[in-house]
Amino acid sequence: MTDTLIKMQNVDKFFGDFQALKNINLEVKRGERIVICGPSGSGKSTLIRCINRLEKHNNGHIFIAGKELTDQVKDIDAVRREVGMVFQSFNLFPHMTIVKNLMLAQRLVRKIKKPEAHKTAMHFLERVKIAEQADKYPVQLSGGQQQRVAIARALCMKPEIILFDEPTSALDPEMINEVLEVMTDLAKEGMTMICVTHEMGFARSVADRIIFMDEGEIVEEAVPEEFFDNPKNERTKQFLSQILTH
Amino acid sequence: MDLTLITESVPKILSGIGITFQLMLLSAILGLILAVILLLMRLSGKWYLSWPAQIHIYIFRGTPILVQIFIIYYGLPQFEFVRDSIFWPILREPFGCAVVALTLNTGAYVCEILRGGVLGVDHGILEAGSALGLSAQQKFIYLTTPIAARIALPAYSNDFISLMKATSLASTITLMDMTGIARTIVAQTFAPYEIFISLAIIYMILTWVIQKTFGRIEKYLSHYVNP
Amino acid sequence: MEAVDGWWDDYFWGSMIVLQVFFFSLILMVIFGLIGAAAKLSDNVVAQKIAGAYTIIFRGTPEILVILLLYFGSAITLTAIVQIFSPDTKFVDVPPLWAGTIAIALIVGSYATETFRGAFLGVKEGSIEAARALGMSDLQTFIYVRIPEMWRLALPPFGNHMLSLIKDTALISIIGLNETFFVAKQAIGTTGEPFTMYIVVGGIYLAFSSIVTLSVMGMEKFGARTGEGAR
Repeated sequence: MTDTLIKMQNVDKFFGDFQALKNINLEVKRGERIVICGPSGSGKSTLIRCINRLEKHNNGHIFIAGKELTDQVKDIDAVRREVGMVFQSFNLFPHMTIVKNLMLAQRLVRKIKKPEAHKTAMHFLERVKIAEQADKYPVQLSGGQQQRVAIARALCMKPEIILFDEPTSALDPEMINEVLEVMTDLAKEGMTMICVTHEMGFARSVADRIIFMDEGEIVEEAVPEEFFDNPKNERTKQFLSQILTH
Repeated sequence: MDLTLITESVPKILSGIGITFQLMLLSAILGLILAVILLLMRLSGKWYLSWPAQIHIYIFRGTPILVQIFIIYYGLPQFEFVRDSIFWPILREPFGCAVVALTLNTGAYVCEILRGGVLGVDHGILEAGSALGLSAQQKFIYLTTPIAARIALPAYSNDFISLMKATSLASTITLMDMTGIARTIVAQTFAPYEIFISLAIIYMILTWVIQKTFGRIEKYLSHYVNP
Repeated sequence: MEAVDGWWDDYFWGSMIVLQVFFFSLILMVIFGLIGAAAKLSDNVVAQKIAGAYTIIFRGTPEILVILLLYFGSAITLTAIVQIFSPDTKFVDVPPLWAGTIAIALIVGSYATETFRGAFLGVKEGSIEAARALGMSDLQTFIYVRIPEMWRLALPPFGNHMLSLIKDTALISIIGLNETFFVAKQAIGTTGEPFTMYIVVGGIYLAFSSIVTLSVMGMEKFGARTGEGAR
């Protein structure tokens, strides 16, 4: 158990000829809350997708809790167990009820018995204030409710860290807050999280550090006050002026 | 229209419905198994598995089923090694040949239908499975299969009806299914309208029953889309 | 394969008959399909019912049965008519080529009815409304918006209909069309090599269906390109 949960060293990622990540160096400590922002196509989603190996990085090293992610890691699923992920489009399993969505991986991956998996599932559904919907199917829920279920599903695996990939981008405006509230609560409880988002209010109030990316590079890295009030890089200033004026 | 001829002939024709059903159900079950095997070969990512599957599909979808039936029934006995093989008891009989031909044929079509279902599964759902730590097999069994089955079902039901209709071709290799019996009666009475229209109505009823049955299954499998 | 020597020209002429049937049945199939789709989309209840019965009958009956019924049915009717004038006549038939061509065109036309109808309904109302909002007339909207979009939607299933026509041609051999099957039967009679002779038939059909598939793929690419250009 080290204090450093995630360590990326000189990571490059290519899609064909296109370089999506350029020499990424990043360290995330246990309990830290990181917000990644930047224009679309800047590589922020790719960065967090490399952390749980939904994308394979081409160069450099990524360590999760001291274990390196390589092709030699026979059990990539073991690393994924420790890393939860919440997607932009929720990606709930459409053919299963809400509670079964939460139980599937517990049972298959953690090998937890049915009654206990059910108990854990209901516990986290209550935490995201949606327990009464347990036996419904995903299509019956609003987008905001589905995203809260997705967060609960990730929590059921008791991960060390949760990655959020633009969790509110696909939501109608009136549903964004209910999801951000859940995320803020999680942050207060000390969950380690990396969050790709355009919600600057959330970033300012929750993040320990904000990372600004552009064209596959980390351009600026700062605590919120410094990032918003005194950005150093020209590209950061430009981005902030665009995003904060409307 | 000769009504007495119809009332006399329909029971005779219906005595062949057993053969029609046997051909249909046996080929459907064996064809589905073959289709799953072909699909797994195609999805394996290994060329020495994927190519033979693709060649099978290309040949059996690209040629008339009648040719396939004739090659198996009339063609294969040309070779002594076929006549000496353990498959000879099956390939000697028109029924066995019809089942083999229909199975190989429907397997090719159904494989493509299943593949369509598998490709129709939202990639994000599988990513969510990966992110939760599910293995490739677990994702295939618990996520891909149930979702793909629902997507593929309407097309599969159409193929099932095609298969039912194709069983009538067994009459071309002397098998006395409903069509075989009807053709014999027509040859004796020379009353094609009465006999063939009666037979057509029987097949239409079968088609209707198959459609209704699959409609029910579809409704059951779709409970999560329109709960 | 030496056994096939001497039969290649017969196979060639047999193939020409396959092509001939394909060509004429394709034209008829499109006509039947368009009429069926127009009837189903019309406000006329009688036309809708007739078109509905047409698709139910021809999609629910085995192909071989339709061919047998059309051939023997027309033959017996025709013979009866001719016998009124010359009682000595034993048998008059519509040539198998034409009975068969019409039969498979009717069958595949019933499937094409649904394809054309689906393509018509599949055009997004938004594109039509946008065209109208831009001030295009009904006719202009139909030609420049609806037809290209319908073409794009109908092409893949239409390719399958063409493959069905090619393959269904083989069934016409049952009523005595002298296409490649017929050649194979004759050749087997003299050479005693059924496998070889039917494999040649299979090869010919595989070649035809490959050509159809490739042409449809080509047309789809063309459709996709114009689709992109329009964007």
